[in-house]
Amino acid sequence: MSRMRIISILVALMLLLSSCAFGSDGGKKSDSNKSRFGSGGELLRIVSGSENIELEPLIKAYTDNNKVTIEMTYMGSVDIMRQLKSNTSEYDAVWPASSIWISMGDKDFRVKHTESTSLSPVVFGIKKSLAESMGFVGKRVSINDIMAKIKSGELKFCMTSATQSNSGASAYLGFLSGLSGNPEVLTMDDLQNSKLREDITGLLQGVDRSSGSSEWLKTLFLQGDYDAMVNYESLIITSNQELVARGDEPLYVVYPYDGLSISDSPLGYIDCGNQKKEEAFLNFQNYLLSEKVQSDLQKLGRRTGFEGVFDENKGVFKGEWGIDTERILSPIKLPTAEVIMEALNLYQREFRKPSLSIYCLDFSGSMYGKGERGVKEAMDLILDQTKASELLLQSNPREINQVIFFNSGIIDTAIIDPSTEEALNELNAKIQAQSAGGGTDIYKAMIRGLETLKSYDLDQYNPAIILLTDGVSAGYFEDFIIAYEELGQDIPVFSIMFGDADPTQLKEIADYTRARVFDGREDLASAFRSVKGYN
Amino acid sequence: MKTKWIGLGILILTMVAIIGYFVLRPRPVDPIIGYLGGEKIGLLEDEEFKSEMADKFGLELLYKKAGSLDMVRADKTGMSYLFPASQTALELYKSEIGSPMRSEIILNTPLVLYTHTMVRDSLQQSGLVSETNGSYFMDMDKFSAAVKEGKTWADIGLPELYGSISVKTTDPTKSNSGNMFAGLMANAMNGGVVVDSESVYNVLPDLKEFFSRMGYMDTSSADLFSQFLKMGVGAYPMIAAYENQILEFAVTQPDTWQKVGHDLCIIYPTPTVYSSHVMIALDIKGYEAIDALMDPAIQDIAWKSHGFRTGISGSQTETEIFGVDGVLTQVTGVMPMPDFKTMDIIVKELSN
Repeated sequence: MSRMRIISILVALMLLLSSCAFGSDGGKKSDSNKSRFGSGGELLRIVSGSENIELEPLIKAYTDNNKVTIEMTYMGSVDIMRQLKSNTSEYDAVWPASSIWISMGDKDFRVKHTESTSLSPVVFGIKKSLAESMGFVGKRVSINDIMAKIKSGELKFCMTSATQSNSGASAYLGFLSGLSGNPEVLTMDDLQNSKLREDITGLLQGVDRSSGSSEWLKTLFLQGDYDAMVNYESLIITSNQELVARGDEPLYVVYPYDGLSISDSPLGYIDCGNQKKEEAFLNFQNYLLSEKVQSDLQKLGRRTGFEGVFDENKGVFKGEWGIDTERILSPIKLPTAEVIMEALNLYQREFRKPSLSIYCLDFSGSMYGKGERGVKEAMDLILDQTKASELLLQSNPREINQVIFFNSGIIDTAIIDPSTEEALNELNAKIQAQSAGGGTDIYKAMIRGLETLKSYDLDQYNPAIILLTDGVSAGYFEDFIIAYEELGQDIPVFSIMFGDADPTQLKEIADYTRARVFDGREDLASAFRSVKGYN
Repeated sequence: MKTKWIGLGILILTMVAIIGYFVLRPRPVDPIIGYLGGEKIGLLEDEEFKSEMADKFGLELLYKKAGSLDMVRADKTGMSYLFPASQTALELYKSEIGSPMRSEIILNTPLVLYTHTMVRDSLQQSGLVSETNGSYFMDMDKFSAAVKEGKTWADIGLPELYGSISVKTTDPTKSNSGNMFAGLMANAMNGGVVVDSESVYNVLPDLKEFFSRMGYMDTSSADLFSQFLKMGVGAYPMIAAYENQILEFAVTQPDTWQKVGHDLCIIYPTPTVYSSHVMIALDIKGYEAIDALMDPAIQDIAWKSHGFRTGISGSQTETEIFGVDGVLTQVTGVMPMPDFKTMDIIVKELSN
């Protein structure tokens, strides 16, 4: 064995060990979307909707008492479907919010032992006083009643991205159905209707903030001051528990009778022919379906079992919040897979509120080499429309994209409006030609970004600043705060880390602007999908 | 001399041990894999079934779940068998691939409707459903007329349910139970006469309308049935699936059945169609598996624990063992499915 080979094996071993050492006991790895519970035994890698973050204490209790390791990776349910379609071998089990995403994604019939773990309808949670003033309390409310309030500007709301998350997709399909005059089921012909296209585009202008998955939407909602959100009844319940605890106004749950959908939270095993893994999976699934855990799930606002809510948990589902577990939930019929996919494509390409993205690209000396390469690759992925469309991240022509090249000062800027394919390609070429050098000041770049935003009517866009950097910066956070307060708008600043990144400063910015930090070195595509889910 | 005897003793003991090992050692189990209709997973996962198959036949049946029609067209590399829920799948196999090495009907079960008591009662009051000796029957002629008229649930006294009267089925172009219901509806729309490759064109527009109103459809009857159980009457007012599914559920999950059984009911369409679960052998192992599955002990497990009518064990008369109300001892009023050619026309039309 050559010396080089021995060294490379040692290096590989060290890498393996260091990756194993990461958060082996319920800790989160930096800000990535993974959590790991337990150690030893079989490893179950579950890709799950973010709403199941709320179940982590129950998962931890299981791994504490059983020799098994469970790794949860969170993403929106529509993205989970995409994972299944791509024939992934990265996961052993899927746990999206609705069965439809398994059956649409599992083309090779690999998923088995699928069981619904709990139910929760997708609802509108509206600040109670606002729901009252709009006449929604104690009434049967239709999707068109809600849309009328959105159109008149009385109601603004947050929802997850329809192309990433089940709750967003469900609400969006409900809107389309309502706007089409409640057909028995939505068809391709309905989607071609120009009146519908106009109406839905107008309606989606009412979206305040968006996110890639439901639990993240809840987090965002609780950090900010918003009027309403579309989310699972269970997450509205747990949000309300928190809102009430801190003395804030709770949300009132509205079930649109002609636009309702239900999440059934199915957990299924991806067969890989490993019997031990399959057993470990079934044991975990049985645990979740046990009466004790089903009762615990009810405490988290989920509906479970065949008999409805247990007496001991009746108090969780409060009538004063508009919650009604006695009424029959009669959801609308979902359209065919073909119609759903076309509707999602249209959402991304045409209907959704256009984004106004300010990319601040770090071309300082510390980015030289792999950092710089990472940034260029990233921008190529989002600006090259062939690549972007594979991830359902294609650009909407109404979008505005600005790029600010920075080191310790502003090197250069470029803005495109409208974002035609030609303009996007030119912008991409400019980025690919840029080279790195000099010091770093991310604050200066962000302040320049805020200045750009001043000249736009931000109600018409989903604005965001996206920093692509290694995160180590001179300059002052306080300067940024002053500029941010002066603008007085809700602008998230997301960061995607590259090079020898240090997230400390970036985390501070993300917390302040209610955004998040992603690691572009781990999985660039999912980092971008997450950012674009918010923007 | 003594050592000689000891030596001989050791030799004999060793030989006994070796012979004993070969006689008594567990028979080597040969695992084989194939495509399986989801409704039979319960049977293949049954411990009694597994040990009987292993001990008696040295077989372990592994599977990948697939819709009955889908599996015929799926990649069959390394597969030893197909175990769909219908002869239509066999016909499709014959027409697309050729004559199989061997095929046999292993199990039978009629297509039935499942609903909740509140829905059944309303359907009964509106004259679509009738009761005889504790069993319930859906008049398919009246039902297809109500569907054509576009009657809503509210029209028959169920304003709590959204939309028009419907039955949810699996995707008729991919899975057998939905495919059979399409055949059944086509016959009903044809005035109760089996449609053929000419008369089918008269009913295609209505049939297409009926299925297009369903929107998204599951591809597995097992998934459809479990959705029906869990999602409640609002989401799944009525479904079409196999009779054995409720029987199996009552046997394998007695505690849950105790809690929910009173609200669930079985309605036999009149007429109905029979699902014949055919095993198609793709190689010699699949060939042997057919013999094993035809064994009386295996057939007995299939009926008593999973509700499949077998036609050999004769135990069909003992319907009371399941504790499910209204199960017929003998299903009469069975109509043949339209022939393969006609079903092919229907599937093609519904695929568009």
